[in-house]
Amino acid sequence: MLNTLRRSFVPAAWLGWQIESNWTDPFLFLVFSVVKPVASVLILVFMYQAVSRAGADAPIYAYIYLGNAFYIYVGAVMAGASYSILDDRERYRSLKYIYIAPVSIPIYLFGRAVARFITGTIAVVITLGAGALFFRVPFNPLTVDWPLFLGALALGIVCLTFMGVLIGTWTMTLRTEPWFVGDAVAAALYLFSGAIFPLTVLPSFLQPIGFALPLTYWLELLRRAVLGPGAAAFPTLAAFSNGQLFGILGGITVVFGLVAFLGYRYFDQVARDNGMIDAQSNF
Amino acid sequence: MSDPQAIRVENLGRVYKIRAVKKGEARERVALTDVNLDVPRGELFGLLGPNGAGKTTLIKILTTLLAPTTGRALVAGYDVARQAPEVRPRINMVSGGESSGYGLLTVRENLWMFGQFYGLDTQTTHARIDALLEIVGLADRAHTKTSDLSTGLRQKMNIVRGFLTDPEVVFLDEPTLGLDVGASRDIRRFVRQWMAERAGRTVLLTTHYMAEADELCDRVAIINAGRVLACDTPANLKRRLQREALFKLETSPLVNGALTTFQTLPGVRKVLHAPHDGFSALDLSLEADSALSGVIGALTAHNASIISLQKREPTLEDVFVDVVGMSMTEAEKHGD
Amino acid sequence: MTTLVNTRPPDRGWRLFLRTIVARAYPRVVGQQREKAWIFFETFLPFLATVGYIYVYRAMQAPEDYIGFVVMGGAMTAFWLNVMWSMASQLYWEKESGNLALYVMAPNSLMAILLGMALGGMFATTLRAVIITVLGSLLFGIQFQVSSYLQLLVVFVLTMTALYGLGMLLASLFLLWGREAWQISVALQEPIYFLSGFYFPIRSFGFAIAMSASIVPLTLGMDAMRQLVFATGPALGFLPVQVEVAVLLVLAVGFVAAARFWLSYMERRAIEEGTLTDRRR
Repeated sequence: MLNTLRRSFVPAAWLGWQIESNWTDPFLFLVFSVVKPVASVLILVFMYQAVSRAGADAPIYAYIYLGNAFYIYVGAVMAGASYSILDDRERYRSLKYIYIAPVSIPIYLFGRAVARFITGTIAVVITLGAGALFFRVPFNPLTVDWPLFLGALALGIVCLTFMGVLIGTWTMTLRTEPWFVGDAVAAALYLFSGAIFPLTVLPSFLQPIGFALPLTYWLELLRRAVLGPGAAAFPTLAAFSNGQLFGILGGITVVFGLVAFLGYRYFDQVARDNGMIDAQSNF
Repeated sequence: MSDPQAIRVENLGRVYKIRAVKKGEARERVALTDVNLDVPRGELFGLLGPNGAGKTTLIKILTTLLAPTTGRALVAGYDVARQAPEVRPRINMVSGGESSGYGLLTVRENLWMFGQFYGLDTQTTHARIDALLEIVGLADRAHTKTSDLSTGLRQKMNIVRGFLTDPEVVFLDEPTLGLDVGASRDIRRFVRQWMAERAGRTVLLTTHYMAEADELCDRVAIINAGRVLACDTPANLKRRLQREALFKLETSPLVNGALTTFQTLPGVRKVLHAPHDGFSALDLSLEADSALSGVIGALTAHNASIISLQKREPTLEDVFVDVVGMSMTEAEKHGD
Repeated sequence: MTTLVNTRPPDRGWRLFLRTIVARAYPRVVGQQREKAWIFFETFLPFLATVGYIYVYRAMQAPEDYIGFVVMGGAMTAFWLNVMWSMASQLYWEKESGNLALYVMAPNSLMAILLGMALGGMFATTLRAVIITVLGSLLFGIQFQVSSYLQLLVVFVLTMTALYGLGMLLASLFLLWGREAWQISVALQEPIYFLSGFYFPIRSFGFAIAMSASIVPLTLGMDAMRQLVFATGPALGFLPVQVEVAVLLVLAVGFVAAARFWLSYMERRAIEEGTLTDRRR
């Protein structure tokens, strides 16, 4: 187990960081890491300002801002893990060599997600800081329930990485358009996870999808950790205690872990059957 | 323009700036220095040199993909740096070890696409594709996706792409790199046939396979570390060595001291030693046959027994060693 | 070999330009025919993302025309993505696979190659835009009130011309840089959605920022189209449509001319610096 970690996780984390960061100097790297997620939050801030007369004090404003800020992790970790497998296959053409090395591909992908987690964290911190300083978001580090926050964050990141492994190994079986699968799935889940609006806004027949997603419970826990009782303004998950939400998130994470493992085995077989380990999708 | 020279290269030099990993570490790498060449129309000209000698850099310059740092080059009478739009319709290039086009297109579709980029009408393109695929033995694969072709077949398609536009000058950059003996032979045969049937067409071939250059080329330039060191017909280059007596000798394993002894013997010009499992192979270059007795005497003095002894004719490999001062393999290590 | 036919001399000039566009579009069109997975990734998933923004407005109890704004923004993302990923950034892959050298070495124009790439992906792009517009309109009951079809057509054509000119300018970056240009393309996506007002009227920015954002043709293009197709559009518009048309015209001419100049300048620099065939990944 330790050997697998040493061989698969540590080099992958190091490699991921090099790939993410070594194309430019640290300042530009920081700017580019932050500009994309911050812009996506600003879209929502301006959408809100364009139509709302309630101002920043309305609960929906903090709901949207925080949900979107933490959703940065979804794009970074889940889409990032899936992206790295394509990076290796298409850009660096090294996937075949990694494949025949004695490494565990899912653990390797966990390692590759570390760099994205770090850059995602920088973006989340800056987004939250900008929210508190410039956009009147009720975020105060002194009142945050840190144990709840860190516990939920850790569990959510593990779950996101499982989802990334699943999507990454799936995209390995695709020849065209695989680059955007991670991003496209992340964007589509935006709709169902209650990230930027309460699930109750969705038509009732779509709401079960949201309740089946771990992101829904994860974002609710993070909001509760940051806002305290203020998070209860929307009744979607108000009936659940923090412990229950943790339990549900943990349970779904285990399920996703299992699905990711089985999915990896299946897609791995499909990819090898179709000769996709060293395929090129360019056209 | 009716320049009798297909390629003129005058005092050509190229220096690459290497990007700094850390600030203040920017370096330069000299790829070509003061290269002069004339290749008349209708010639199959070879550039022979180890990896990193500057062959590909020269081809990039001649195909308008890279600007020279100093000097100038003309292809089909036009300056490659200043008159690229005039040069481009007249040339084409095939590089070994590269796949051109798109994997999900068929062989015919890929070739048609490249024909269009040169302004060929579809009817002409398809007729030429049929003719050329037939010659290289790829006619039955015209409707196969290129992603499903083997390396050798893909390179044959690449060759067809390069000749499809009927260029005045074709640049073949290591066209048989990584191919098996059969595929390499097919490609060499195709090139020879092309040259025989298309009068006035010119091919510049780079290779580090001595036999390939020897077999194909009308003239050969030996290039190493960015400099052209010799340029003549293979026969003339080898004739320079015919004053020497060349022997291939296999002995029981030799100790290092023995080699030093051989090199100081009277009449011995050069000794190349390749140790093998259980025996040593020596390439001897002697001033005359008579110097051989001294070598045999020295072998006996070192208690080495002779397994085989063979007198041989000079090859381009010997010319390379004579001109560069080391074998191609050693030159590659040296370059690295 | 003597069978090498030559029915007529090879085309040059505009005929070669058109041939090149068609030839480079071909792999895209055929690729879409041979691998159907893109329909899911390029139309269905982006549609869900657009719907996400619609429900944000629903949650904010926004006026119904804002839902229409989002649908239009969602449809227009298809064109931006087409320009960035199917045209500009594609040069990165062409360089990696060795095709870029063959394109540059051939007597064709690099502009034609870029247009071929973009037009080849246009079927997917248009389908995506149409699906988002039609489904979005039907599912969310969007009311269109077109004041002038002619003006709408003029605005759309000018916007697209300027946008693809801008795309070619961006493509030229890939001749000199590889990963750096790629990262810039990735990082630009959301800021452009934000600054161009894909999901809200750019009037919210105030004059100075909105004017600066107008350098991206989609900014004024979308603002003008919203004014022309929604009842509340004129009230929420940034500048009068006629002014926006005039600016778009300047942008279209300027970007196409600048792209022509820059592509040739960057090609020359890339040839001098040796980056056309340099694969640093």
